[in-house]
Amino acid sequence: MYSSLNSKSQDVNGAARRPHTDHSFIPPCQAKCPLQMDIREYVDLAAQGKVMEALQVIRSGNPFPSICAHVCTHPCEEACRRTQVDSPVSIRALKRFAVEFGGDRMVLAEAETTRPEKVAIVGSGPGGLACAYYLRKLGYPVTIFEAHAEMGGMLRVGIPQYRLPRAVVDTEVQRLISMGAEIRTNTRVMSLDLLFDMGYKAVFVTIGAHQGLRMGIEGEESPGVLDGATLLREVNLGLKPSLGQRVVVVGGGNVAIDAARTALRLGIPSVDILYRRSRKEMPADETEIKEALEEGVNIQYLVAPVNIKRANGDLCVTCVRMELGEPDARGRRQPVPIEGSEFTMKVDTLVSAIGQAPQMPGGFGIRIGRGSTIQVDPLTLTTNRLGVFAGGDAVTGPATVVEALAAGRQAAHRIDDYLQHKYPRPVSTNQPVMTGELDQQTIELVRKIGRFEPLYLPVEDRTRDFKPVESVFDWESAVNEARRCLRCGVGAEILFQDKCASCLNCVRVCPYHVPYIDMAGTIIIPPDQCQACGICVAECPARAIVMRKPRERRHIADELDHIVKTAAQSKARPLLIGFLCQYGLFGTGTLAGLWRSGKAGIWIVPVLCTSKVEAHHMLRPFEMGVEGVFVAGCGEQCSRENTDHWVQQRIHKVRKLLAQIGIEPERLQAFVSDKNDGRRLREELERFTEQVSSLCLASILKQEVRN
Amino acid sequence: MIVAEAKNLTEIGKTIAPYGRILVLGCGTCVTVCGAGGEREVALLHDALRLMDMKAGNGKHVFLECTLKRQCDPEFLDVLEEKAANVDAVLSLGCGIGVQAVAERLPDLPVLPGVNTSFLGMAKEWGVWDERCAACGDCRLDETAGICPITRCTKGILNGPCAGTKNGRCEVSKEMDCAWVLIYQRLENMRQLETMRRYYPPRNFRAIPRPKRVLSKINAAGGGHE
Amino acid sequence: MSVSLFDEKLNSDAFLITTEIGPPKGTDTSEILHDIDMLKDKVDAINVTDHQSSVMRYPSIGGCLLVKERGGEPVLQMTCRDRNRLALQAELLFAYSRGVCNVLCLTGDSVDVGDHKEAKPVFDLDSVQLLRMARLLEGGTDMGGNELKGVPKFCLGSTVHPEADFVEPQLVKFDKKVAAGSQFFQTQGVFDPATLRRFMQYASQFNVKILAGIIVMASARMAKYMNDNVPGIIVPQAVIDELATAEKGKGLQKGIEIAARFIRSVKEENLAHGVHVMAVGNERIVPDILEAAEVSGIHA
Repeated sequence: MYSSLNSKSQDVNGAARRPHTDHSFIPPCQAKCPLQMDIREYVDLAAQGKVMEALQVIRSGNPFPSICAHVCTHPCEEACRRTQVDSPVSIRALKRFAVEFGGDRMVLAEAETTRPEKVAIVGSGPGGLACAYYLRKLGYPVTIFEAHAEMGGMLRVGIPQYRLPRAVVDTEVQRLISMGAEIRTNTRVMSLDLLFDMGYKAVFVTIGAHQGLRMGIEGEESPGVLDGATLLREVNLGLKPSLGQRVVVVGGGNVAIDAARTALRLGIPSVDILYRRSRKEMPADETEIKEALEEGVNIQYLVAPVNIKRANGDLCVTCVRMELGEPDARGRRQPVPIEGSEFTMKVDTLVSAIGQAPQMPGGFGIRIGRGSTIQVDPLTLTTNRLGVFAGGDAVTGPATVVEALAAGRQAAHRIDDYLQHKYPRPVSTNQPVMTGELDQQTIELVRKIGRFEPLYLPVEDRTRDFKPVESVFDWESAVNEARRCLRCGVGAEILFQDKCASCLNCVRVCPYHVPYIDMAGTIIIPPDQCQACGICVAECPARAIVMRKPRERRHIADELDHIVKTAAQSKARPLLIGFLCQYGLFGTGTLAGLWRSGKAGIWIVPVLCTSKVEAHHMLRPFEMGVEGVFVAGCGEQCSRENTDHWVQQRIHKVRKLLAQIGIEPERLQAFVSDKNDGRRLREELERFTEQVSSLCLASILKQEVRN
Repeated sequence: MIVAEAKNLTEIGKTIAPYGRILVLGCGTCVTVCGAGGEREVALLHDALRLMDMKAGNGKHVFLECTLKRQCDPEFLDVLEEKAANVDAVLSLGCGIGVQAVAERLPDLPVLPGVNTSFLGMAKEWGVWDERCAACGDCRLDETAGICPITRCTKGILNGPCAGTKNGRCEVSKEMDCAWVLIYQRLENMRQLETMRRYYPPRNFRAIPRPKRVLSKINAAGGGHE
Repeated sequence: MSVSLFDEKLNSDAFLITTEIGPPKGTDTSEILHDIDMLKDKVDAINVTDHQSSVMRYPSIGGCLLVKERGGEPVLQMTCRDRNRLALQAELLFAYSRGVCNVLCLTGDSVDVGDHKEAKPVFDLDSVQLLRMARLLEGGTDMGGNELKGVPKFCLGSTVHPEADFVEPQLVKFDKKVAAGSQFFQTQGVFDPATLRRFMQYASQFNVKILAGIIVMASARMAKYMNDNVPGIIVPQAVIDELATAEKGKGLQKGIEIAARFIRSVKEENLAHGVHVMAVGNERIVPDILEAAEVSGIHA
């Protein structure tokens, strides 16, 4: 309050501590995501059971969430700081939960053409699709040229259907078509000049990296030797290549694993993978390796083929065993052959999956660099030809879907810059990124909750066909999993240092012992340790502490205002107002029944943890004329153990005031839900409702007697 | 630190009854620290008083809120010129010093106390406050192991414990330590028990005669008997 | 030279018996007079309590004058709770002038335990300072350093708490009281002969008389109540258990029996120089106790 009075000081510091400024940090998951998705936000919404809102957030940062929901390599999970406590949040599975429960399939995408400049996109992989999506959003007419009969690039021909069902890609392509993108399949672009002649003002080349690299060993040309990309493409396009009974796959990346698992699903009884380093160095996704092993793929580590011979209908593969030598410049230990360790395997098919490269038609006239990749300016994605942009695997070599999507989005914006003659500026943000490890003390005080995983198809059912292996989270697991998020970077801060009386309440009330006093005697709330519970905010007697995100600061007050307005409009007066933990109770639907079952007059203020309900929040509904107020927390499910303690403290304080005002203190109650018995809370609440009704009746009678 | 406690709303209700527009005035120093009169309490009291008005069926009061950095220094009170311009009374949540400072500043306005100033003390832990000093003007903590028997002994006696101590606790409260047991233990730890064995003569209870004044400048009028 | 009959007895080897009576709440002195008459010839001195437990009553000095009038030997109990140094000095001068020379110097119970909880506690002096102040008056000056016209002379006593659960600080204070001029000590109620014996070993180094405090209890419930509510009193479980064995309505009888037994052992085993019997509002039973203990306070 007094900051607004001391106008002199406000002029000096006002800008720095305007109460509506967002002081939150970018969480590490978001920082690591190529699309910079607001993961913390949608995970939080999922934790509240608000799937549609979660999907909205997801869609605002990702053109094809359903694709990422299935196959994203989730670098976010690697960055997740929850790992330091127990294990990372299952972010990708939560995204899939939001996509499926939030009704992503029903989302209509529309776009209007507002620009005359046509743009051609060569290649319909994730990069091309994303570029088309954003260009349409920007109002440009877009044509996608695809050499194959079906759209999707690697999404269609590279990723097996048990990981990414065909229908998912179809939906997204359909949506793109409905946005007005023109699709030209079976059209291999051989010359860019032609495209410019056709009137396209800019071209985005995103042809992927489909050409398998050669192993460089003798016999590589023998029949029965094929490359992984080819195998996956054929299978994905519906062919059924005959591979014999024994298949060996060479390589350690995701394509090798995909090829091996695909072979299993084609009915091959014996599938081996040869990898020249050890499991630790294997670049394939850990989950994929695990699933492959479960399904019966035999991975031989530290083995490399040196020679292939065809004899008597068999493919005789001579291999050598390796050992790991000194680390190279990139820190990877190089395999070194062990002399005299050669052995020979007899197989029917050898699949080489040691890497892929782009294969560029000569007529493009754009500069090629290392590994046949297209050379671009990393900021603008421009090639050596004016108006030609490139991105995706064709530029980076084989990479991930999410990186390609990010490249496509970047290309769309850079093409827009180019066509509008704007100086290409990178999107910069002043928001700092949350870095730093959790302190040991913080880790110890955070309640440990193991990671929830979605259900997987039983192993015996997997290899029969190409059915998706992973199923979507059920509602309760998803909510519980989402609640594990530590909400990095949105914690509390002492925003108004001039108000701070150094009372040390924050230091004393923090369940995680996060605030500390520095050598100068200043109280510091380190943002990288704060768990955003809001207890110090509610207990700060000077109201100097706020949450870093403006929306969280006003959340409860806004919800209350909303109720007041709604009540005024509907002319219905709420009888009871309850502050309900939005996470456990609403989220998992424990209490939903109570409100749906027609308990008229009970109005709910959803709160993100009851620890944030302050004393004056509890008092305010009485001024609106309600008969009773209650606070219902999620009890044992709470992220911390003492939330109820603080609720009780405030209830005690407000009850004292109520008694002094002449309102029965029993009209204010606190409840906690019982994890194992949802009914108990409902019964307690019903008792409370009855109690309040009888108090209400008693006071009416008293009034009448008095009159 | 000065420790204060919120007054009962009923009592406040009576004192503000004759006035219409009331400025609820918090203080950002001691009473903020002890949770009795900071910005949060000002807001809560404001809400509670409005509710009380509503309950009484007479919404005749209008409340304004303001919290100063410190009420007990005249310079901080300059903003009151504007803030208290159109009010009928000020309800100060400052300590007794604050109330008087505000009253001095606003000669024509009633200034009402919203808290009871309790003592000089410190937090034992969150939400628990203990008296530590009587501001007697004659500190002799060197003789009592840094533990003040004037404030921490219910009788304020100076030559050792009375016979009412039980289990190391005071005769008036099983929750409170006997100050003299604490003093003995501390002196024993420091091997300075002879300090306690010395006779402690009657105290000078008028070290600074009332009305008290402390001077740190020359040519000023002293207080009391000067 | 002795200042009083009691002072004289303190200097003899007699086993001393004292007791105490509480003045009335009001102006009716018939009861206290009855008690005085009943006790005056059975004990060596009668203490008159000074708003005991901070409950407002007829004043101690008034009670002492009544004892004097009836031919008894009074001990003026004087606490620091209600008077500042001016009033304390004045009252001592008055007491002496009316022949009340035995003074028991006490700190006094906290006002919080009494019936005027909102009173301002004075405690301008403590018991040690009070003792010194009385001795100072004997020297002819008051605390302000002013000369007195006419000088008093006192027989001063004080209290000690040998059964305190943390006795060391109590002993420090005991030493200070001895040094301040206390000639005799009435102990807080004691129940355990072993503790008393240990204390006497310590106290025997000083030239002071120790009177063991005897509290008579009427029931196990009362004992428990005193444990919980009366400052400083610690009744051992064994005593409570023994009280509990009493038949219904015979609790007081049991209490008298216990007290008498204890007095006998104090006398026979030389655990103290005498006893101070506190009947806690039940003064009428004091003669019964003394009879049961087969002791008498007349050592003319």
